[in-house]
Amino acid sequence: MKMFKATAAALALSVGFGAGAQAEGLSGTLKIFSDMSNPAPRAVMEGMVERFGALHPDLDIELTVIDREAYKTQIRNFLTANAPDVANWYAANRMKPYVDAGLFEDISDVWADPALADLASTKGAMTLDGKQWGVPYTYYQWGVYYRADIYNELGLSEPASFDEMKSNCQAILDSGRKCYTIGTKFLWTAGGWFDYLNMRTNGYDYHAKLTGGEIPWTDDGVKATFANWRELIDMGAFVDNHTAYSWQESLPFIVSGDAAAILKGNFAVPPLREAGLDDSKLDFYQFPAITEGVALSEDAPTDTFHIPAKAENKEAAREFLKFVVSADNQTLINNGDNLGQLPVNAKSSVDDDKFLKEGFEMLSANSPGGVAQFFDRDAPAEMAKVAMEGFQEFMVKPDNLDKILARLDRAAKRIYK
Amino acid sequence: MFPTPIEKSPRSWQLTYQALLPVALVMWLLPLIAVALFSIKPDADFTTGNYWGLPSSFNFVENYGKVFFASDMPRYLLNSVFITVPTVVGCVILSSMTGFALGVYKFKANLWVFFMFVAGNFVPFQILMVPVRDLTLDLGLYNTKTGLVLFHIAFQTGFCTLFMRNFIRALPFDLIEVARVEGVAEWRIFWYVVLPLMKPALAAMAVLIFTFIWNDFFWAIVLTQGAESQPVTAGITSFNAQYRAAYHLMSAGSIVAALPPVAMFFLMQKHFIAGLTLGAVK
Repeated sequence: MKMFKATAAALALSVGFGAGAQAEGLSGTLKIFSDMSNPAPRAVMEGMVERFGALHPDLDIELTVIDREAYKTQIRNFLTANAPDVANWYAANRMKPYVDAGLFEDISDVWADPALADLASTKGAMTLDGKQWGVPYTYYQWGVYYRADIYNELGLSEPASFDEMKSNCQAILDSGRKCYTIGTKFLWTAGGWFDYLNMRTNGYDYHAKLTGGEIPWTDDGVKATFANWRELIDMGAFVDNHTAYSWQESLPFIVSGDAAAILKGNFAVPPLREAGLDDSKLDFYQFPAITEGVALSEDAPTDTFHIPAKAENKEAAREFLKFVVSADNQTLINNGDNLGQLPVNAKSSVDDDKFLKEGFEMLSANSPGGVAQFFDRDAPAEMAKVAMEGFQEFMVKPDNLDKILARLDRAAKRIYK
Repeated sequence: MFPTPIEKSPRSWQLTYQALLPVALVMWLLPLIAVALFSIKPDADFTTGNYWGLPSSFNFVENYGKVFFASDMPRYLLNSVFITVPTVVGCVILSSMTGFALGVYKFKANLWVFFMFVAGNFVPFQILMVPVRDLTLDLGLYNTKTGLVLFHIAFQTGFCTLFMRNFIRALPFDLIEVARVEGVAEWRIFWYVVLPLMKPALAAMAVLIFTFIWNDFFWAIVLTQGAESQPVTAGITSFNAQYRAAYHLMSAGSIVAALPPVAMFFLMQKHFIAGLTLGAVK
């Protein structure tokens, strides 16, 4: 546990802070529980606390950083037993259990602040039952990361349609490589493929209804999605034995050039760069359209801050949340030296990084359909598990599709009841 | 019944044996070799798929340096010591007394009390998970080293009592009777007659319990959270980043965490092997 007693009030003036005018006179203790436990995110969290502390010299800030995985099991515990004033969590359905249980504070009043109008792109993800329950602090794009040098060698260009994607893939297969590497050992990677194929085949609203339990898994739309997926599987587009690999273990295929691309979040970039793929070899494209007229939508998992309902210093907590999302703070914490992800505030600037720029551009300008969180955050945890097991099975034994869908439907009837 | 010693077997079998032994040994140790190898590799070797080859660069100093100076590992190691040593001491003290009582005194419930200690060993500890966690929470000992130590002592004393009681049973009872005839007080019999004789058993048990507790992972993650109280077995997972696992650092950390029990084993090898058979045969 680290204590930051603010001392340098002068520093406050040098820190740009949009919503700070009414923030004077905060006092007492602000307890923050954070899951930003890795070195870089931890430094970001500590830096934010320090800067916020400098703005509010009378406020004692107690920061507890908990290991990210442990945090997932502990949050239930501390939200009920010994609630902090601010806590990290995730957007959309992942916060639903706590919202439904009345453990998160309704902070629609914070969102009513005009300064938060710049957060429109993620507002939907923070909204449940028409109210907002937290603020985002970072997100990142998903998309296809591909070997530009292989594409050049084969004379291919970034695909604009699914047909092009398939013809590219055929050319790659003919050259003795695989089109996509994937490691489905821990299931969620297959969820990414399903998200994109389904959002491109049926659109964002359909996808949201499906993960929300309003559309049965035996619906024709779902079958169309799997039919598209099957085309790729039948071509042999994915690496063999993918059920044996974790996502990190699937990276060597793209590094060695045995596979030409990977559908993944932006977090795949640092290890690929370390392994020797510089920006001339690695490039990014948005997953192409499948059904014509379906607005493109993206997966962009969002990490968030919330105020527990049992918090004691809610006034200070609200100020901290506003501070977190302010444009300057967003620019700072999401730059390449810190989180290396995308700022949630539209007025923030993005770090000078090829992939971050493309991602920011894509999410702010080229994702008219909406922004999804990711399959295992959009669907309830139990459903996500059953469904992703089904995706994995489908990728290995596509002929089992009817059985899989019937199973998912039965599970959905039980889970969404 | 008894295997023929290898030097008396035919030459051809001797050769096969000598050839197969190293192979079996290497295969047996393969996972450990992989971990040791990875602990000196850079992170990029994992992404390039260089699992078994030579390290692309020799990162011994860097990886182990990070483990010791840029992570909470020293803290976790220290926690492990503070959890393991008090547990060993507590178990030894309690079980030598319970073992003495159950082994020397004849009273009606003797066998039943003994059975209760033994039965404790047969309870699968997973089913105790929720009640023990609630108990430590109610006692205010959740997420403290004390809580973990108390629980380990309570749970390990069952096994230790079995161990001690059987050992004391095997001692010549005449010694105790002679002392009684001489009019020596019971606690002095315990202290001056039985305890010195128990020394080899105590040493053996201390080594066993040390390795048990040092390697405990289950209770460490159930009863503690965070660097201020977790032992090293649980702490290694802190090298799992949000998106990726730092396998090279985890390997280095595992090697470091495994050293104390290994060192303990080699230093006390004699006692350890004695410990595995002591008390088991009467």
